[in-house]
Amino acid sequence: MRPAELDLDLDVFAGPFDLLMTVVLREEVALAEVELGEIVIAYLEHVEEQGELDLEAATEFLVLIASLLELKSRLLLPAAEEEELQMAPEEAAEELLARLLEYRRYRDAAAHLAELFAAGRRYHYRSAPLPPVLRRVALDAARPAYDPDLLAASIGDLLRVPPKPDTSHIRPTVSLEKRLRVLRELLRSRRPLDFDESFGSEDKLTQAVTLFALLEMHKRGEATWEQDALFGRITIEAR
Amino acid sequence: MKLEQVVESLLFLSPEPVGTAELAEACEATEAEVDRALDLLGTALADRGVVLREVAGGWTLASHPDAEEEARRLLAKPKTPPLTQAQAETLAIVAYLQPVSRPEIARIRGVSSESAIQTLTERGLIEEAGRSRFGAVIHRTTPLFERLFGLSGLDALPDPARFDPTPEDEAELRERLLTAGEQRTD
Repeated sequence: MRPAELDLDLDVFAGPFDLLMTVVLREEVALAEVELGEIVIAYLEHVEEQGELDLEAATEFLVLIASLLELKSRLLLPAAEEEELQMAPEEAAEELLARLLEYRRYRDAAAHLAELFAAGRRYHYRSAPLPPVLRRVALDAARPAYDPDLLAASIGDLLRVPPKPDTSHIRPTVSLEKRLRVLRELLRSRRPLDFDESFGSEDKLTQAVTLFALLEMHKRGEATWEQDALFGRITIEAR
Repeated sequence: MKLEQVVESLLFLSPEPVGTAELAEACEATEAEVDRALDLLGTALADRGVVLREVAGGWTLASHPDAEEEARRLLAKPKTPPLTQAQAETLAIVAYLQPVSRPEIARIRGVSSESAIQTLTERGLIEEAGRSRFGAVIHRTTPLFERLFGLSGLDALPDPARFDPTPEDEAELRERLLTAGEQRTD
């Protein structure tokens, strides 16, 4: 299928879903038959004709075509080779459908807003500022409440920038080695460990370094950890 | 002087839309009286060159849309460019889901929306509204958005369910996606 037959004006599409929806809803074209390579070639020819590369437009095209490739390949990849990772085509189609429908809601809302904007921009509002006498606080009308010299003497010191405090004596007190040792000690009993229970009362830095230590142990195969949900409990087990 | 005349004077002076409560306070009248005065004022202005509009949570006077060309010639204002589709989609997502983060906008549109967000921000239609709990910048619409789009408030946006496809459309899309999935290469 050549893009000429597809008759796609790539400039008018606002994103991969927009393009996909147009392609999918076209009577005579099945998504499986759309040669994305041809679209790329058509685009390159389009760029060559123009003689200069609009970096922003080119970036958007790259993102668009990459997303489209991903979407299409999900529909087309044979399921046999990657059984575990591969979604059933029905599932992939359902997921895509959900995203398309969500996108479509905002595309149509956008069309509505564009109409409102077209109607609204014909109205012009008064842009003159209020005359000074009517302003609630007119600078000309302001009178000093305090004698400026007295005020300066009173608050002058507050305006001075104090010298920087010396922080050279403060060193980070949390080391990865120490946290590794703590973790290994706790895991020696071979009982699963709850992160919050064990480290919830520690300060943020200690918790963070402990997490780094956990990553290190996971990398070395000393421990595994699980978290069922975002911000859920983290359970650590020795291996 | 009649209340609607006083209200007209106040709106003529105010650079920003004025709420009914503020008008009532200034006129030492009840809000019901101000509402009635606004009604009368709107009717009285029907065949005049100035129109009464309720935008961004208040009342304001605007030039008649039919005088747009002449107004732009007099004030040498360039015609405001229309929104591109990317900008309109981004704006719709911000308007309905605000406050909303950049990644969420990109997820719904399926494409990064940085330049649309930047343009909308430069045009004063959206603004940053702090950061989400994950540190992403979040956005919301501005009062200028409501003014330019002739909205009396954010609740004047139509129910988004209105834009959902009919069950028939949805069934057709599903059918076509499934057909595409079945035509896998051997």
